[in-house]
Amino acid sequence: MNITRNITVLRIGEQAQIVDFANNLVARKLMAMGLLPGSSITLVRSAPFGGAFYIKSEHHYIALRKEEAKQVLISND
Amino acid sequence: MTDKIKKIALLGNPNAGKSSLFNQLTGLRQKVGNFPGVTVERKSGIAKLLNQQEVEIIDLPGTYSLYPTSLDERVALDALINLQNKDFPNAIIYILDVMHLERHLLLLTQIIDLKIPIIVALNMNDVATQQHIFCDEKKLSDALQLPCIKINGRNGEGVEKIKSAIVDIFETKTSQSGTLFYPLSASEKNIVQKTQSFYNAKNEYHALLLVHHAKRSNFISTENKSQIAQQIQANAFDSLDAQLNEIMQRYEAFTPIVRMVLQKSFSNSKTITDRIDAIVTNKYIGPFIFFGLMLFVFQAIFAWSSIPMDWIDGQFAALASYIQNGLQENTFSKLLVEGIIPGISGILVFVPQIAILFLLISLLEEVGYMSRAVYMFDNIMQKFGLNGRSIVSLISGGACAIPAIMSTRTISNQKERLITIMVTPFISCSARIPVFAVLIGFVMPSYKIGIFNSQGLVFMALYLIGIMAALIAAYAFKKILKSNDVSYLMLELPEYKKPHWRNVFYTVYGKLNSFIFGAGKIIFFVSIVLWFLASFGPKHKMEEAINVATIESSMMQYDKATTELHIAAKKLEASYAGIAGKFIEPIIQPLGFDWKIGIALITSFAAREVFVGTISTLYSIGKDADNLTIKQKLQQEKNATGKPVFTMAVALSLVLFYLFAMQCISTLATVRRETNSLKWPLIQFVYMSGTAYLVSLIVFQIFK
Repeated sequence: MNITRNITVLRIGEQAQIVDFANNLVARKLMAMGLLPGSSITLVRSAPFGGAFYIKSEHHYIALRKEEAKQVLISND
Repeated sequence: MTDKIKKIALLGNPNAGKSSLFNQLTGLRQKVGNFPGVTVERKSGIAKLLNQQEVEIIDLPGTYSLYPTSLDERVALDALINLQNKDFPNAIIYILDVMHLERHLLLLTQIIDLKIPIIVALNMNDVATQQHIFCDEKKLSDALQLPCIKINGRNGEGVEKIKSAIVDIFETKTSQSGTLFYPLSASEKNIVQKTQSFYNAKNEYHALLLVHHAKRSNFISTENKSQIAQQIQANAFDSLDAQLNEIMQRYEAFTPIVRMVLQKSFSNSKTITDRIDAIVTNKYIGPFIFFGLMLFVFQAIFAWSSIPMDWIDGQFAALASYIQNGLQENTFSKLLVEGIIPGISGILVFVPQIAILFLLISLLEEVGYMSRAVYMFDNIMQKFGLNGRSIVSLISGGACAIPAIMSTRTISNQKERLITIMVTPFISCSARIPVFAVLIGFVMPSYKIGIFNSQGLVFMALYLIGIMAALIAAYAFKKILKSNDVSYLMLELPEYKKPHWRNVFYTVYGKLNSFIFGAGKIIFFVSIVLWFLASFGPKHKMEEAINVATIESSMMQYDKATTELHIAAKKLEASYAGIAGKFIEPIIQPLGFDWKIGIALITSFAAREVFVGTISTLYSIGKDADNLTIKQKLQQEKNATGKPVFTMAVALSLVLFYLFAMQCISTLATVRRETNSLKWPLIQFVYMSGTAYLVSLIVFQIFK
């Protein structure tokens, strides 16, 4: 398991599992929004002018800026 | 029971369906204002219970947890942990979306531990039903030991049950669950006990929240703050770690409940939202759809509102002339006909634009589109310190800055919202068009360049300059303004849903209400003052002006109509506005403006298009003259040395002045209301009009 991977390295449509967060503030917000370690996420698309990611977890859609997406550590499941 | 009205807070995650329930509970008996000291919108209203008792319902900003990340969320937190807060509720209605039961339980278990009486409203949203997600509210009620009621924001199902549950809570005082969802850790217990020894907290969890939030809570005394800080240090307590630990433990505690009460057949098949977003947020097509929608919004406020606006104008003009004919001419009738009626008309004329803009915006917001716009344009707008939602305001500003500035309420980042408010008036609004139309002929002769008309190109250039000015100013504000909020984008994109028309209606109603009775008052007052300044002057001067004008007219053998125009011009010159125009002449002379233009600058504070009317009066041009006639008259105007007044340099300088200057009291009144301060409208006036002055000065000095 390679946990240095984060959301920004995912290909469009690729699925992965959240393992941990590199930043506690990002962790607090995303966990409160329902994204926990163990949650399965899919990178759906990236924003038209770059900078943001559209991710999906079950029926839950979330937009993340690149800086935040980097803090979400993942492993492929 | 005290006779003071009971307060009930509506609480829930963003997009849980709070506003639907709020509207169902309060109907038209709602007020929109600000939470004290901040510009976060506070909606409250009165609900009548079944026993005729009235309660106040307060719509707290949506939040994911009691660990806030934005000012909105902090306001919600303060209302729940600050016992002196006027909005501290007697009970909470917690709105929970069945579709997202699990993560919506986090905040619920936090307030359960705070031991404020709770009624849980289970919003069965349409999407959940479509996807066969069902929730057993009896089982949930048993597990949480709280009343759980299914509601439907669309048809009002369950609202009566909520009302009777409120009565039950206050009458029977059923003590709610004593079990805590989160047992404090040993170190938390230690700090909490110490804190409770000097601070009168309601319970352990309340004390724990005070410890976490002491630093940023103004209601805690400096002494208590330092005591808490000491405790944190003495116990080597890591607040953020503790919060994360708490959130994890809460999820572990309620996940079994979710499994027990929720039936869902989760499938990986594409939902409606997936399918819509594949197109609407598509990297390439998405922006085009957005600009198509914005073009539609712009067209709607620009074109659709002109019919009702003309109608309102016409009705008030008819009323004025009716009164004028019926009343003897005296100061009172003049005040009524020339001051009060146009003043009211000048407020109501904005109603169609505001109504149409908010109809469309709240529709886009209701269906869930707006957060997609934020996602798509976040990167570009961030560079200018703006938000994806700012685009809507900037584009609406092309019709009128007033509804545009009011629409910034949906921008939750305070800095981004403020910047949007500050720069939106640079976008050329419809009131500038009459001014440009009269002056453009002096700037550029009309001829064809390919398929374009030269004057049309100048028009377009003026719009582009306005847009550029707005972006440059935004960038400057971004660099200057400090913000306490960390900038981030972790945004929920809610499932698309059919709009609740009731919510759309209440949004439009609320906006009109707050405009007419908020900013409207200032607009009315200022237009009366401006009328007074233009109609009155020192008595002997006014009489002298009338005499001189009458003598001059008879010498020139003017007919009756021309004589009246000539008298009106001389009276305006002798009025206080005339005096003020002459007074500022030395200041505006370097821009190429004389005192007559000075008067027009002053009177057009009521609205930019008044410029044309004032100029017509000053140059004795009839009221109904078209632009061409005005232009011809102005071309004939010579100054004392016999040179024409309206040269290309003067007209260009004047056009640019109107493009940049904050020449609109209605906008300033709206900014004053929306920022809840005098500081920001003042800064806006100074920086915009300062820019206008500088640009006009440079341009005139070059081209003269």
